[in-house]
Amino acid sequence: MEDTHTPRLSVRGVTKTYGAFTALNEVSFELRGGEIMALLGENGAGKSTLVKILSGLVAPDAGEIVIDGEAVDLDTVAASQAAGIAVVQQEYSTVPTMSVADNLFLGQAAAPWIRRPRRLVREAREILARVGLEHLDPRVEVATLSVAEMQLVEIARVLARDARILIFDEPTAALSDAEVGRVLDAARRLAGEGRSIIYVTHRLGEVFEIADRVTIFRNGTSEPPYDVDDLDVDTVVAKMIGRELAHLYPDRGTGGGQVVLEARKLVAPGFRAPLDMVVRAGEIHGLTGQVGSGASAVIEALAGLAPVLDGELRIDGSAGAARSRRAGIRAGVAYCSPDRKRDGIFAQSSVRHNLSSPWLSSVSRSGFIKRAQETRSASAVADAFALDAGRLDRTLGSLSGGNQQKVAVGKWSGIRPRVLLVEEPTRGVDVGARADIYATLRRIAESGVAVVVCSSDTNEVLGLSDTVTTFYRGVATHSRPAAAWTEHELVREVLHREEVSA
Amino acid sequence: MTDIDAAAARWTSVGRRTSIGRLVARYALPLMIISVVLVAALTTPGFAESTNFRAILINTAITGIAAVGMTAVTLSGNFFSLGVGATVVMAGITFLATADRTGSAALAIVITISVVVLLGGAQALIVAAGLNPVITTLAFGTIIYGAIAVWTGGEVVTAGATQVTGLATADLVGLPMPVVAFLVLTAVATVLTERTVMGRQLRLVGQNRETGRTTGISVLATTIVAFTSLSIGAALAGIFSAAQLRQMQANDLPNLTMDIIAAVLVGGAAVGGGDASPARSALGALLLVTLGNVMLLHGLAPGVRVFGVGVITVVLVVTLHLIRKADAR
Repeated sequence: MEDTHTPRLSVRGVTKTYGAFTALNEVSFELRGGEIMALLGENGAGKSTLVKILSGLVAPDAGEIVIDGEAVDLDTVAASQAAGIAVVQQEYSTVPTMSVADNLFLGQAAAPWIRRPRRLVREAREILARVGLEHLDPRVEVATLSVAEMQLVEIARVLARDARILIFDEPTAALSDAEVGRVLDAARRLAGEGRSIIYVTHRLGEVFEIADRVTIFRNGTSEPPYDVDDLDVDTVVAKMIGRELAHLYPDRGTGGGQVVLEARKLVAPGFRAPLDMVVRAGEIHGLTGQVGSGASAVIEALAGLAPVLDGELRIDGSAGAARSRRAGIRAGVAYCSPDRKRDGIFAQSSVRHNLSSPWLSSVSRSGFIKRAQETRSASAVADAFALDAGRLDRTLGSLSGGNQQKVAVGKWSGIRPRVLLVEEPTRGVDVGARADIYATLRRIAESGVAVVVCSSDTNEVLGLSDTVTTFYRGVATHSRPAAAWTEHELVREVLHREEVSA
Repeated sequence: MTDIDAAAARWTSVGRRTSIGRLVARYALPLMIISVVLVAALTTPGFAESTNFRAILINTAITGIAAVGMTAVTLSGNFFSLGVGATVVMAGITFLATADRTGSAALAIVITISVVVLLGGAQALIVAAGLNPVITTLAFGTIIYGAIAVWTGGEVVTAGATQVTGLATADLVGLPMPVVAFLVLTAVATVLTERTVMGRQLRLVGQNRETGRTTGISVLATTIVAFTSLSIGAALAGIFSAAQLRQMQANDLPNLTMDIIAAVLVGGAAVGGGDASPARSALGALLLVTLGNVMLLHGLAPGVRVFGVGVITVVLVVTLHLIRKADAR
């Protein structure tokens, strides 16, 4: 370790707001030379906002950033690179059809003007060796690599920039245990070279393996760092959660309705074990797990978006709903996607046409749309979902995110839904609008619909649901009434089941 | 029901709000055509004569019928058919050859349309399975061209003793048959696009295929409908063209594909899908033919005419694109 009195990086009083939403509130953060600092927090705690600020993608509203004793201005990505900061992306930023060597030097300010393949390959070999990829031929296309190798190439890309501060943004989210080991080795080796590493992760097991210190963010605020030796898993979990839920979530349901959705030995892509599941009318059933845990694969299978390979799904006792999305809609299965823009709305169409899109045939005769009836039904939906007046003919894309979300959910009320499947209902939504969405979901359940909510936010799942099922690596691990879970247990169950019990 | 009616009343009383950009985009084309016609009538001798207007309409009909048919393909997010020109020629040759063989123009029409629709269906299946529509239609166009070149041996095909010219020359309400067919087809296609469930679904899937999937709209069904529309347009264009020319060979109508695509684009269709209208495509075809006609009357050489129409197409398409972009903001 170097001199600990002037830290490598020091972030002081940084604030960032998005409209009414405060992502970071006077956050402080420090990083010493040659250390690995784990950055932890729930979804929405502000981790990625800090990463974006440090990488020059987002400008803070207030606060200062000091590197090696000098205040720096990170207002562009180039400025961040020049300050010696490099980010290992969560999503792969390599070009699959280019060679490993070309990818390593792609987008570098210092890349030579003339491409000299032989020299490029020689330099690439040196860099690859430092991340444990000495066996890899730099001339092969990135597309031919395994996921873990791609992640290591991603790290190597950053090394090619010779950065002093490396940010690992959930580098192991998509990797298996053996593969994670290689990434951790690479991180350790880099810290050994005197580089400082910010390690953002959801996997607590890794933290105790490689981090020197830990900074925990909660709801956009920071706490001073802890030495990892002073912590255990339970303390970390307690510090990550520990916010009041009471006012955010509506009261739980009375439950006890008839069975609406029944899955028996269901197998679909992404499952590693057959699934049995029962959801009753009036019940909100929460599914939670990490990325790739299988929770969202369950939703896709129930919606009829993914093929069911084995087993059966009954809605109100009749089979066949999982055959296709159309069959699902006919059986009354509504589906709200996690990414509204991608597959939840038609942004260029009017609110009216969006609302009527799933049930057009019910307001038509011999293929012709009865427009007065379409307007009447769409108006009723708009009214029920408190959509602002006078906007039925506005292009949906021009409305606010909150209103778009209302349309994305509200359009399903026209199919007389029996089951509502919702993925990540509050991703990218601020706290005020969240309470609104939770209340709406509860109201829909109270009207006799079986609601299934899938979220990686454990707090949300626990606060909202009547029953909670956890998923880990394609298997439903536990299913209990929400009252029988503590948030503590739930976070443990979801985040680090094997890491801790091993 | 009273609650719902009250809500509906509240909603409809607010009325339609339409942005200026949208108004301009909607009426730019008719305005453009009117001003071209006015300017041409004042400056171009021989333009404002009924025989010339008739000639313009007859010239527009063939391209227009195919453009109206292809609008559904563009609307549904399947870009364009690059094989449409070859398909029109194939339709024409099939029509003449079957008329010659069977002695019946009516039977030849039925056979031609069926063959072209089947070929369109095959392309739809391939495109719906995920292959790029541009590549698929280009490949089919090339195969069709090759097949008719081999089949006819490069020779001219005629209807022999069977009378087919009546199709092109017979007057209905004072207009030749192809023009009447063009107008009727445009009206029917516009109503189907705007008023039916399938028309709406073509538009929605063209805007966002993924949302279409989660909303239960069948991409296979919309693609088949789009290519059927294209095929009917191409078949009719080929039949009328063959009836006009009374003979056809594989190399005929070399510029047709680009003329049809230009008509759809000048009509303001969004290349990526989700916004297009048969009526606007028909007006696009009309505008392009009118401009060519004006330049012809001014005695401009063919090269200059093509250049002029090309420049105007680019200017129009870019302007419409910019308006749409500003409108989306």
